[in-house]
Amino acid sequence: MDEIIITEALTKHFGKVKAVNGISLSVDKGEIYGFLGLNGAGKTTTIRMLLGMIGPTSGESFLNGKKVHAGNYELWKNVGYLVEIPYSYPDLTVRENLEMIRRLRLIREPDTVDNVIEKLQLGPYHDRKAKNLSQGNAQRLGIAKAIIHNPDILLLDEPANGLDPAGIVEIREMLLDFALNKGVTIFISSHILGEISRFASRIGIIHEGRLLQESDTEQLNRFRKRCLQINTHNNSSAESKIAEKGFAVTISEGGFLEITTDEAIANPDIIATILVQAGYPPTMLKVEEEDLESYFLRTISTAGGMK
Amino acid sequence: MKGFYAAFWAESLKVCRSKMLWITILTFSFISVMIGLFVFISMHPELVSDSSVISTKASFIGRADWPTYFIFLYQVIAAIGLMGFSFLTSWVFGREYSDRTVKDLLALPISRFMIVISKFIIVIIWCILLSLVVFFLGLITGIIVKIPGWSGENAIQAFLIFTLTTILTIMLSLPSAFFASCGRGYLLPIGFIILIMIITQFIVAGLPGIAPFFPWAVPALYCCAGEPEITHPEAISYILVVFTSFIGIIGTLAWWRYADQS
Repeated sequence: MDEIIITEALTKHFGKVKAVNGISLSVDKGEIYGFLGLNGAGKTTTIRMLLGMIGPTSGESFLNGKKVHAGNYELWKNVGYLVEIPYSYPDLTVRENLEMIRRLRLIREPDTVDNVIEKLQLGPYHDRKAKNLSQGNAQRLGIAKAIIHNPDILLLDEPANGLDPAGIVEIREMLLDFALNKGVTIFISSHILGEISRFASRIGIIHEGRLLQESDTEQLNRFRKRCLQINTHNNSSAESKIAEKGFAVTISEGGFLEITTDEAIANPDIIATILVQAGYPPTMLKVEEEDLESYFLRTISTAGGMK
Repeated sequence: MKGFYAAFWAESLKVCRSKMLWITILTFSFISVMIGLFVFISMHPELVSDSSVISTKASFIGRADWPTYFIFLYQVIAAIGLMGFSFLTSWVFGREYSDRTVKDLLALPISRFMIVISKFIIVIIWCILLSLVVFFLGLITGIIVKIPGWSGENAIQAFLIFTLTTILTIMLSLPSAFFASCGRGYLLPIGFIILIMIITQFIVAGLPGIAPFFPWAVPALYCCAGEPEITHPEAISYILVVFTSFIGIIGTLAWWRYADQS
């Protein structure tokens, strides 16, 4: 497949602070790459380097096979972006802000502005000055500026910030449509794994400037901890009965019995039979899956300790 | 050139929609009219005999005639204009940082060179507009209050001096763009302007021998060259003004092109 976004050992140091440390990744055409990390992990710095806004200390990056640097402005013709909180000119209306971006992107068709206003449902606010927009609509305006020219590559830094749940779903559907139906390559950063895992085809976890892990959605599910959670009327006796049958069992903080072996997770009926035969029938038996946020926090904690 | 037109259009829109355009026009108009009124009061001191403050200020005018009045208009540009033009240069560049809109200008299919040049051109046009407001409103005020000693030839000559003073002042206000860009806002350029004004006053008043070699003093020296107590600028003075302006422009271009925009 075509590699549209490539970074090779991309590094940025601000004095002694290693904001980004040797990140190498590639994103294929039509792929949605979720770039996940806590605040200050290096997501925005990476995106700014991909946009030529800051120069790397070492390493390089490529978009569409062309090396990124501030002087290579032809490169941005097919790139849309949103970096951090989008700000617009406060004294200009929504329409004027978009009209300005249309011209600055050298788009000839004047109806481009109407189309993007309609796509982002900004119609009721088109004559409102940007300074009077709600946070959600300011975010929509930022996204509108990013997609006004139908780019081949989208670099989005936390685009769901400030959007209500309906807005988040709407933007997610729109990005999926871009990737699946129009072949747009999307690099999207977030600190919410639950949200990004819903539509990203691949996820990279960044922590303290280093890329800790890359995985597709299936791998992500495999990496997540699962356990069989059991409750009986006498958990301490039930624990010893299960242990006698060779299963490693522990008691959770909530007082439930937990078994993490694959055999028990795949065959909870065996555990149920053991307990019934021992006279401690289960009152609850369920496979509990580690939620995405816990997985994310465990990953970054294991890899170097959270600060 | 397509990129330049787009960038210039964008800059024009930003300026036309801002309150700053009207605030600066009103401020410069007010100053121009006030100068005319002070000359009028100095012609008719009996009108303000009760107001010692106004009559004292009006007494600074000295001779109440057109040549003196024109000198005051030149000085408005050389002193207040330098401050005002520098401030609006800082605004055009610094607002992109304080409004956090600069990132929208950094990854476009237009070079950053064009973006910066279009900003400088809008600043120059804006400064010229303010200068014309000062001169022609001053002229109208002077005619209305019937300042004596009018001569068409003198007025043309005054306009030429005024124009060159304006050009020198505009050139010296452009380096503020560099301070606005690297200071990412207004604070640094405003500090720079205040410092420059203080140094200029100090040099012109205390070290007149150095004044021709301090670029920011040159517009005042040029426009008041007819006054006996003023040191005349030399050829090197004008070269220094051009050089200072050039350094400011190149520095700003280099900052936008090479500095990290984080």
